[in-house]
Amino acid sequence: MLASAYRLCFAAAVISTGLLSTSALLAEDGLPAEGLLPADSALPVVIDHYVDQQNQKGGIPVVGQATDYVLLRRMTLDLAGRIPTAAEQTWYATLCEGERTTLLVDRLMNLPDFNLHLRDVLDEMLLANRPFNNEFRTYLLWALEQNRPWHQMFRDMLTAADSEGPEKGAAEFLKTRARQLDDLTNDTAILFFGVNISCAKCHDHPLVADWKQDHFYGMQAFFSRTFPTKKNTLTEKHFGEVKFRTTGGAEKTAAMMFLTGAVVEDRTPSFTDEERKQLEEAVRKLEREDQPPEYTAPTFSPRLSLIDAALSDTEGMFLARNIVNRTWGRLTGTGLVDPGDQMHSANPASHPELLSWLARDLITHEYDLRRLVRGIVLSNTYARSSEWTSTEAPPAAQTFAVAKTRALTPRQLAASLTVAIQHPDRWPVVDPAAENTASEWAARRKQLDDQANGLVREFEQPFDGFQVAVDEALFFSNSERLQNELLKDSDDRILGYLKSIEDNTKAVNVLWKNILNRDPDADEIQMAQDWLGRSGNDHNHALQQLAWALLSGAEMRFNH
Amino acid sequence: MQSPQRPVASRASGSGESIPIEPGPGITGQDMTSQGIASQGITRRSILRNAAAGASAVVASDMTFLNQLRSAEVADELKKQEKRVILLWLAGGASQLETWDPKPGVKTGGPFRAIPTNVPGVRISELLPELATRMQHTAVIRSLNTKIADHGQGADLMECGRLNDPGLKYPDLGAVVARELGRLESRVPDYVSLYTATEGRRKGTSGFLGARYAPMFLSESMTPPNIVRQDSITEIAHQDRAALQNALSRRFANARRSQAVDSHTSAYQRVNGLMASAELFDIEKEPADVRARYGGTQFGEQCLIARRLVEAGVPFVKVARAWWDSHGQNFETHQELCADLDHSMSVLLDDLAERGLLQNTLVITLGEFGRTPQINASLGRDHFASAWSCSLSGHGVRGGSVWGKTDDLGQTVVEGEVGAADLFATILQALGIDHSHEYMLGARPVPLADFGAKPIREVLA
Repeated sequence: MLASAYRLCFAAAVISTGLLSTSALLAEDGLPAEGLLPADSALPVVIDHYVDQQNQKGGIPVVGQATDYVLLRRMTLDLAGRIPTAAEQTWYATLCEGERTTLLVDRLMNLPDFNLHLRDVLDEMLLANRPFNNEFRTYLLWALEQNRPWHQMFRDMLTAADSEGPEKGAAEFLKTRARQLDDLTNDTAILFFGVNISCAKCHDHPLVADWKQDHFYGMQAFFSRTFPTKKNTLTEKHFGEVKFRTTGGAEKTAAMMFLTGAVVEDRTPSFTDEERKQLEEAVRKLEREDQPPEYTAPTFSPRLSLIDAALSDTEGMFLARNIVNRTWGRLTGTGLVDPGDQMHSANPASHPELLSWLARDLITHEYDLRRLVRGIVLSNTYARSSEWTSTEAPPAAQTFAVAKTRALTPRQLAASLTVAIQHPDRWPVVDPAAENTASEWAARRKQLDDQANGLVREFEQPFDGFQVAVDEALFFSNSERLQNELLKDSDDRILGYLKSIEDNTKAVNVLWKNILNRDPDADEIQMAQDWLGRSGNDHNHALQQLAWALLSGAEMRFNH
Repeated sequence: MQSPQRPVASRASGSGESIPIEPGPGITGQDMTSQGIASQGITRRSILRNAAAGASAVVASDMTFLNQLRSAEVADELKKQEKRVILLWLAGGASQLETWDPKPGVKTGGPFRAIPTNVPGVRISELLPELATRMQHTAVIRSLNTKIADHGQGADLMECGRLNDPGLKYPDLGAVVARELGRLESRVPDYVSLYTATEGRRKGTSGFLGARYAPMFLSESMTPPNIVRQDSITEIAHQDRAALQNALSRRFANARRSQAVDSHTSAYQRVNGLMASAELFDIEKEPADVRARYGGTQFGEQCLIARRLVEAGVPFVKVARAWWDSHGQNFETHQELCADLDHSMSVLLDDLAERGLLQNTLVITLGEFGRTPQINASLGRDHFASAWSCSLSGHGVRGGSVWGKTDDLGQTVVEGEVGAADLFATILQALGIDHSHEYMLGARPVPLADFGAKPIREVLA
């Protein structure tokens, strides 16, 4: 019920954004409220309010909404990590226009695909360029399946408890970095707080007044006692300080300082020399021995106090702002702060109030990532067309006036290719009312993933400035796997199915729907028919090559 | 025809160059306008006829291009204009004491002698006798102090000239050279990396420069993956379907111009050219006497491929020779590996010189670090990055020069210390590339060689 209300009030909001008034009061919870829209506004309304307001002010031309079928594809890619199946397209067509979008979003968010995809996204974000880590992925999926709040996941990862419970794999975030103190420091700051302070290691940041050496070493001080044992668990030393030399040459002991400048009191007990010696010996044994004597963890943990510092930060809201910004960037192609590791005063957000509002909303709603994702994808801003046909230069990415065309991730592309080549009539029927469809789909999704896995490594993870590699074009053009797997014409595949269809127009329609999730336009039908008509006797071969042209084409490669 | 939009990096400032900077070749079909063919109402037959003819024309011209390389004049012309690099990567870390900086007669010196070379006063290890007679081409640097004696990080440092910063992936030398010396519409690859050994194998990285400058990586065979057409499709059909894909993608791509979308088009446009370059990897195309000269080792054959590639205009070729990590039996290991290096590199230098290519080709020998002067209990030498050597030969280099000095035991640099960034600045300067030129990543300036790098002028021609 609430869902359809969203859709209605969101239509109204476009006309009446001027009526939304900002609150001038401080909120009771100490979070910033001044100048922000009321906390109880709906997310999509707030998003569109801030984005539209700025574009109106700047006279920025804004494109219209994408068609429903483009949205079906876009949302399925963003929420399920793959393109829609033929059965999903059929189901979508039966929905009445007013409520299509919310029904689609709710369905997608309830499929196992949602958590599987978000697991891949978070894994890529948190362990990028590191070896495949099944323990970590298992943890992420477990956490997402119970909608574990983001601040709780942050706590799991930084606590890195040596437990046998389901949160065990969370420790991998730190374990994979434990031998490099700089990695622990920098990656935590970048990935959880959106702040890259590495430039402040040797000197105060040359470009950003916010970041001093005190910040770098202040962050490092939270991690400096953390070390991996021989048994590959993480623990902390009882004492130890971080010292550094300022550019002036003075030696300084770093205070445990959070990014806001808040200093954590060092509650390390004082030890006699003898005690220190014994503790050092105990650490050495932990590092070297398979069966070390029992080790009593310190009473004061700098690393755990970083968790508390981050969660009590109502001023910078670093933890919340970072995940809001990264989620926004993932779903629209560009962060509100861009690049995502440069959240500081010299690089302000394109829509500072929106970022603050969303961060506050995340905090007041228990860091619920599902709520955030749902709010963004239901906004008009998200739903804009990606087409820009004017001869004028398109508006800058951070106006969000045109949807950004985003390269698919390796997993999205592999899964989508795998979906695109299946027989269109052999998908489980979408019937939200039927009880057994959920488990039937879960099994099918697993099958798809198994099939897609081999393809994943053929593609590169997109990043800012991404370009399609010529290796990829060569793969599509000449690889045996492509020929034998993707263009296979067995009975369970679309090419097998098309062998039985004599009407070329119908065959072309089926191909377009299965691969591009839309109907071909008149010119495309003409081109495709020409292609098939020219082929003479080898009709199957011509169909195969037509499918190749769509599977390897630009439209398939991107989320648009 | 509307010219392609040049993507502009936001907040670019300063005099540096913004990345991403490639305008991309655009969606320039042979016969179509930016509006897309379909909307032009071109008759149905002409679409496919033209598209197919266009694709065939591209291939035909590629073949011509490659054939032309064989003609003396064209080769001469290319030789004058283009600079190239062959990096002989000594993976695992070669011992400076058994190569460029011998210390015979001291306790760290090991059993091998130093021999005189054809450059008076310059002596190198007796394990490199052939190179000793060719030192007029080569500058030796004996004073590298790169500090990192760990394979992974050492390789990061010596491949990129600096360590990665969090959140910023630097391009390696090959990618920078490909970017600076490659041609946008090149029909040959601009960075090829041959690494057939499994020890220490790394693909190389184009970092923030993007996939356009990523290496063509040969690890499993001597032919690049997916460069040869499957038998199940004819050459004509292969070209036709590429033209069909291009035609079907065009309207989509034209309405969504961006570096990423354009790169899809340009990646496929390079396919035919690269397929035509497959024969560059086929050393059977070389006369038997040339092959015999390079000897039968895999490294020798890869050096020959490298020569064929630079001859065809590939700006950067890396050939890795593994595995120099001689923690045990250092001397036997070096006897074997140095023999291969000595012969292969000597033939390569001769061959390049005879073809007039050495004047434009810089040959580098480098690894992630050197080896300890101390000889361990297993008669090995361990990782060592505080005082080690590399060499530069050919283009831009003052042949016969030696830079830097280590102490009598080889434990420290006593003269002319060189860091990774300095070495990279030297290499770039040798190629006529300004090492202090900056790419702009947003507001962040990134110089080609790291901040503060100083080229060693004394080894430059």
